Amino acid sequence: MTGAATLSPAVPKPAHVPDAAVYDFDMFADPAYVADPHKRVMDLVQNAPRVFWTPRNGGHWMLMSHAAIFNAARDIEAFSSEIVPQSQIKAMVARLPPGTPHIPQPLPINIDPPDHTKYRAPLNRVFSPKAINALKNDIRALANQLLDRVADKGRCEFMTEVAEPLPVQVFLKMLGLPLERQEEYRAIVKDHLSDPDPDPKNVMKKLLHITAIMRDTMLERRENPRDDIISLLWKTEIDGKPTTMDDMENYGVVLFIAGLDTVMNGIGHGVRHLAMDLPLQDQLRQNPQLVAEATEEILRRYTFTVPPRVVGKDMEFEGLQMKKGERAMLFLPAADLDPKEYANSESVDLKRENKVHIAFNAGPHRCLGSHLARVELQIVYEQVLARLPQFRLDPEHPPTFHCGHIIGVDSLHLTWNS
Amino acid sequence: MKLRIDKAKCVGNARCAAVSEELFPLDEDGYIAVEQIDVPAGKEGLARRGARACPERIIIIEDEGQ
Ligand code: HEM
Ligand code: SF4
Repeated sequence: MTGAATLSPAVPKPAHVPDAAVYDFDMFADPAYVADPHKRVMDLVQNAPRVFWTPRNGGHWMLMSHAAIFNAARDIEAFSSEIVPQSQIKAMVARLPPGTPHIPQPLPINIDPPDHTKYRAPLNRVFSPKAINALKNDIRALANQLLDRVADKGRCEFMTEVAEPLPVQVFLKMLGLPLERQEEYRAIVKDHLSDPDPDPKNVMKKLLHITAIMRDTMLERRENPRDDIISLLWKTEIDGKPTTMDDMENYGVVLFIAGLDTVMNGIGHGVRHLAMDLPLQDQLRQNPQLVAEATEEILRRYTFTVPPRVVGKDMEFEGLQMKKGERAMLFLPAADLDPKEYANSESVDLKRENKVHIAFNAGPHRCLGSHLARVELQIVYEQVLARLPQFRLDPEHPPTFHCGHIIGVDSLHLTWNS
Repeated sequence: MKLRIDKAKCVGNARCAAVSEELFPLDEDGYIAVEQIDVPAGKEGLARRGARACPERIIIIEDEGQ
């Protein structure tokens, strides 16, 4: 899936956008971006305006600076997460013929406060640091299992062998879904999630596919609760009302969308960095207690998600006129490389004074799974360093990427002396 | 030393508690549990690091103390 060759057509600039604020960047297909994403991000940080409008992909704003994004992320009236307004979704659903299956929605990611809070609260409880810490041993065992399979081979394509199966298995275990159906879930993650196709019909089909494979387990756990997240979510209330099957499907979809593709690519970027930074590998092998800090610094250096927003009202932002309904991207990868916030932002420096990044965004939508993500990343780095000797990128198969709302690693070939 | 916490803005990512669980207690949902912290003597450095670790920048050093 490398659609890098074709840029989307440029649309004309609206009159209220000044020429100085226009910068041509296709966040899905820019060739330099797809070839080596964070190198191009650094180039944008140095050469593009701090907030700009690009004519690609229908035309949209790009927020680049740390300050602009930090402010935008918490001003929900100015920058709404309701890409399709909830009122419009409700009207659409009301028009469907009776008997149509429930169309799952990734709540709370696509809904603004105050309703946002209702749907987020039950998940917060389930994903508390306490709950996640209890999973550590299982995650480590899974990581070791995957790594032991490749350790003797002296080489592997790390995404398929480790980075992709690990979060899927953790997800299934945590939710209490049957591990035997792993392949089905992996197929959905692989084929669909990184597909940039924005056609709402296809998106809907994907969402229905995700809920379809979870439905049996969800119904079963309602009757026979176990020690898993599905059972816990059945027991919580949303805004004082018991959880319904529709709510459960919404949660299933949001966790699937937010928790798999992300962790997998985070692992990809981090392990790629380690493969290129042999002194860091040595340092961490000798001092495994530094892995937690390294995980933070790598998250900052390779921030890889781009949450979308809709301008909520006509306004001035950072000296620019923005109109209600225009789209704006919180380009987090640039914020975390902003030299105003991080000196020598390009270097991975464990001694850096300020490592507080916004790879998980800020404000009300700040990643709810960040504890889990951190634990998964740390454990993978720890075990990769423990189970493999010094590893490098395979010079014959350089890594490949895809770009969009997630900067993803398609392939990551590593070699080592076995 | 005293810290003030703008509790309503906490998003529950426990970066403060990762620095020190004792200084920065969390509630059952993982949000910061208190609005004010009287830092015990000797823990000022930890308190400062915890405040800096908050990505929401809502832990404010109110009174540096000694
Ligand atoms: C390294 C891995 C991850 C990264 C970089 C990441 C990043 C993000 C970001 C940037 C957001 C904010 C989206 C927005 O502002 O619109 C977000 C939201 C969210 N994430 Fe993560 N995420 C990761 C892993 C996870 C995991 C493992 C889970 C759970 C299983 C998860 C669950 C969620 C949920 C439910 C939301 C929506 C929160 C809300 O809207 O209130 N994420 N994530
Ligand atoms: S670090 Fe800040 S936002 Fe996170 S739990 Fe502590 S106080 Fe809340």
